[in-house]
Parts: sequence; C-alpha cells; structure tokens
Amino acid sequence: MELVIALTLGLIFGVGVHQMLRRNVIRSAMGLVLVSNAVNLFLIHCGAYRGITPPYTTIEGQSSDPLPQALVLTAIVIGMGGFSFVLAMLYVFALRDRTGDMANVSQLKH
Amino acid sequence: MIVEPVNSHLVLLPVAIPFAAAAAGLLLLRHRPRAMSLLALSAMAAGVWASATLAFDVMSSGAPVVLHVGGWRAPFGINLVADHLGALMALMCQAVLFAGVLYALGSRDKCVRFPVFYPLLLTLAAGLTGAMLTGDLFNFFVFAELVVISGTVLTACSDHRRGVEAAYKYFYIALVAAMALLLANGCLYAEYGTLNMADLASRIADHPDAPLAGVALGLLLVSLGIKCAAVPFHFWQPDFHTTSPTAVSAMLSSVVVKLGVYGLIRVSMLLFPHADSLAPLLIGAGIAGVAVGGLGAVGTHDLKRMLAYSTLAQVGFMLVAIGWRSEAAIAAALVFAFNHAFVKAAMLMLAGVVASRASVKSSSFDVVTGIGRALPGAGVLFLLGGMSLAGLPPMNGFVSKFGVFRAGVDHSAWLVLAALAIGSLCTFVYVARSFQRVWWESPEAAEHVKPTGDSLAAPMLLIAFCVAMGVAPQPLLTFAADTAAWLADPTAYIAASLGGSP
Repeated sequence: MELVIALTLGLIFGVGVHQMLRRNVIRSAMGLVLVSNAVNLFLIHCGAYRGITPPYTTIEGQSSDPLPQALVLTAIVIGMGGFSFVLAMLYVFALRDRTGDMANVSQLKH
Repeated sequence: MIVEPVNSHLVLLPVAIPFAAAAAGLLLLRHRPRAMSLLALSAMAAGVWASATLAFDVMSSGAPVVLHVGGWRAPFGINLVADHLGALMALMCQAVLFAGVLYALGSRDKCVRFPVFYPLLLTLAAGLTGAMLTGDLFNFFVFAELVVISGTVLTACSDHRRGVEAAYKYFYIALVAAMALLLANGCLYAEYGTLNMADLASRIADHPDAPLAGVALGLLLVSLGIKCAAVPFHFWQPDFHTTSPTAVSAMLSSVVVKLGVYGLIRVSMLLFPHADSLAPLLIGAGIAGVAVGGLGAVGTHDLKRMLAYSTLAQVGFMLVAIGWRSEAAIAAALVFAFNHAFVKAAMLMLAGVVASRASVKSSSFDVVTGIGRALPGAGVLFLLGGMSLAGLPPMNGFVSKFGVFRAGVDHSAWLVLAALAIGSLCTFVYVARSFQRVWWESPEAAEHVKPTGDSLAAPMLLIAFCVAMGVAPQPLLTFAADTAAWLADPTAYIAASLGGSP
C-alpha cells in the first residue's frame, strides 16, 4: 500500500511540475493545482500509518492521528481560496490579452 | 538561563485588533469609505500601542509573553509566543503599517476607495504580526498565506495597467513557496511528530541526522527565500513592488519581505542551530542579492523599480549577517531589518508622492524628471532617506551598516566585506542619480505638474523616526543585543514556550 501511494504521489508531482513549466498560463495554473493536491496527499499520509481506528471511540486498537487531517483540511480551504483568485486573474488575462501565451501576457518590462 | 514566561492575553492584541477592525469595517462600513479609513487608522494606532507595550514588557522583564490559546498547553495546543525577536518584529510591522494606512488616507489613487482596500491592509497587518508571534510552524504557514493573499489582492486592484499581471506572477511564486512550506511541515511532522516550534527544536536537537530533517531544511530555505526575495528567487519582486499602489508597495518592500528574514532567523537560530551548511548558502545568496539588487537599481529607468531593486540589495546584507550567526551579527541583522523597514517605506512613499504629481501617473524617470522643483519638502526628505539607504551618518542606515561591517570584521570575512562595500557604492550611485533626475534637472518643456498630489504626512513621520533612530540608536541597539543573546541559547526559548501555567 505504501509503495502504491508513494508512486501515485510521485506521478502527480511529476505531471504537475511538467505542466507548471509549460508556456501556457492556464496549463501552468493547472499544474499548480496538481502539485498542491500532491502536497495535500503527502501531508495526509504523514500520519496515516500510526494507527487505523478512529480516535476518541471505544474501538480497540491504536487510534489514528487526527492532526494531519486537520492540517490538510486547513490547507485545502486556503488552496481553494487561492485557486479561485488565480482563476479570476486568468479571466482578466483572457478578456484583455485574448491569449494564454506567457510571452504575450507578460508585458512588464523595465 | 531559564526564565519563567509571563502568561498574558496581551500577546493576542496585536493580532486581534487589526482582524476585528477588518471584519467590522467590511461588514458595517462598506459604503462609508471615510469612516472605514478612520477606523483602519485607529485600529493600527491601537495595534502599535499593543505591540509597543508587548515589546516594552519583554525588554524590561527579559521574559517572553506566552499565551496557550484556549487553555490547551503547548505542544498539544497552539501557543502564541512573544519573545524578544517576535516582539521587536511585530512592533516594526505595526508601526510601518500605521504609516501605510496614514499614507493611504492622503492618497489620490482610485484603488484606496475600493471597499475592501482598508480591510485588506488590516488583514496584512494581522497576518504579519501573527506569523511573527506564533509558536507553531503550521500556524506560521496559515498567517503567511494571509499575508500573501492580502498583498496579491491589493496589487491586483492597483491603478497601474499591469497590476493584475504582477499580482499573478507574485501569487504563483508565493503559492509555490506555500507548498514548499507545507511539504516541510509534512516532513517534520512525519519525522518528529510535532509542529510546535519549541518542541520541534528540542526533538531536532536530540536527533539532528533524521533522514527527512535535511529535506525539511532545504524546503524551508526555499520557501523563506521566496518570501524575502533572496536572490535565486527574486525575479517576481521588482515587477510586483513597482506596480502595486504606493501605500501597499511601501508595505511590501519594507515589512512583508521581513517575514522571510524573520523565518530565516528562526530556522537558523532555533530549529537548526547546528546545521553548518546554512552559512555558505545564506552568505552566498546575500552577496548575490547585494550584487543583483545594486546593479539592477543602477540600471533601471523607474523610481519605484529602483527602490524595489534596492530592497534586494538590503535584504542581501541581512542574509549575510544571519549567515555569520554570531551574536553581534544577529544583532546587526535585526537592527538592519528594523531600520530598513522604516526608511524603505518612506522612500517608496516619496516616490509615490512624486508620481502622483506627474502629468501621467507613473514613476518612470522619463515622466518624473524635474518634477521635484515643485516639491522642495519631498526633496529634503528624499535626500535624508537616500543618505540612510547609502549608510551615511547621522541617519539610521549608518548604524545598521556599521553593525554589519563590524560583525564582518569580527569574523575576518574580508572577501565578503569587500563585496558588501562594492554593493554599498552602488547605493550611492543610484540614490544620487535619482535625486538628480527628479530634483535637479530642469523639466522638459511640455511637462505639466499637477497642483495637488499625495500627502507628505506619512513619509515625514517615517523620516523623522529614521533621523531619531540615527541620532539616538542606543535603545534599539540594546534591545537587539539582548535579542541576539536570547536567540543564542535555544533552550531558553524551548523552556519558555512549553512552560508556564496554562
């Protein structure tokens, strides 16, 4: 199971970083979303192997660690707010520049 | 040295006051911009009072103020720790942000009438102070995200045509930094099972060679390097600090970059005090910053952009001093960070005042040449601020540069000192050149100077403070020396953060 998760994480990271390096602003933004999800997945698996039963119950066995889940929830909420703002900014580019090419969007020169 | 911490809710005030004012303003005063701006100003004044009280308490008693939020003791609960470093940085942030709100009050930009402008400035203040006072690494991430989001939205609503573009660049790189910080959190949690900084520091000291510790250190360095615009991660900074509204860019270039500096001091003094690999990395990044920032500032054609590049160089000085890590060097870095925040905010505000009088609202040298003839008062202030940037007495910049150079002499780091001295020379060149272009040269024939512009009150206040800190630097130097002595012994912080009655 650990190997599968590790490989999945690596795959999502790889695809995300590959997309981040593309010229198209929309593709690079999607790459960022993928990487952020990979990070969240990594975070939740940091505490996944400490136990498998839910905490604060009468079920026997070592209870799982709730802290990474709380962290991931926070990170997901922050990420969602951030990405909605990224999408809003992409919409401004789409309306104004009519292109998603990084070279055309980037006009700030010295 | 074990000091008993003081448990008080006072440490909550510098974070809670701006937050409460932002929420109240957004809910109640959306359609009354004047009332909103006055609320923001009074909230920041209250914040400055609270953080000054906090810093004074910490300085006089020598013990940090710790609050275990909700009565849950750290490391199980989240605590707020105002130690010497946190209190000094929080005071600096609140004071500069007060001046920023004051500038926005007298500003003619359209964006300051945007209903969320003042609430966002207040959340920026709350985020910065919170990040500097929290004792928990994940909380640091949350507050840092608050700072990033506030700063981005404030830039995206700028009057500048390309504000959204600069905001996008910054937001993208800041999200990458946030992910690096989150990954570092994950690595440290997987390895040590805690995220409380004091607890983490004691566990790292017990097992410094755990496999993920090095990964976490690298990720922390990348993330904090992006936050303070250290050189390999600096490319977003000049665009971002040039296009944002003046009241905001003065904050971004002065106190927001200090978040990274604060984080680097914490990482190198508390979390990884024995990591020897940090020194060459920080000193290398610092020297590269001094070179890139100095040359970039000399070569640019825009007043605000020049000051943004100058921030790169000045952060470079701080990184070099943090890299040396001796008590004198850390004290010098703190004095440098404190003084730079005030003078850089004042200089950017003066650039904004000049730009607001130009026929086209721009700070490009082509537009602002000769405008200074109508603004003699701003010229005097700009000259004083420029002297401070260049490090001439009697300004506070002299005190900060002197401290860094003396720490370098203690380390016999002659090559590094030579590089810093050459970087300092660049400061003279670009300050003198900008002063000459704006205040000395005669305007071009068709140039039209607007009769009114942004108010000079905020930069005047800041420059007056800079002169005061240059003439009477002793209280700051003493506080910085105490802070460096406090940071030199991480066990004191650990005991204070985890101890005390809940």
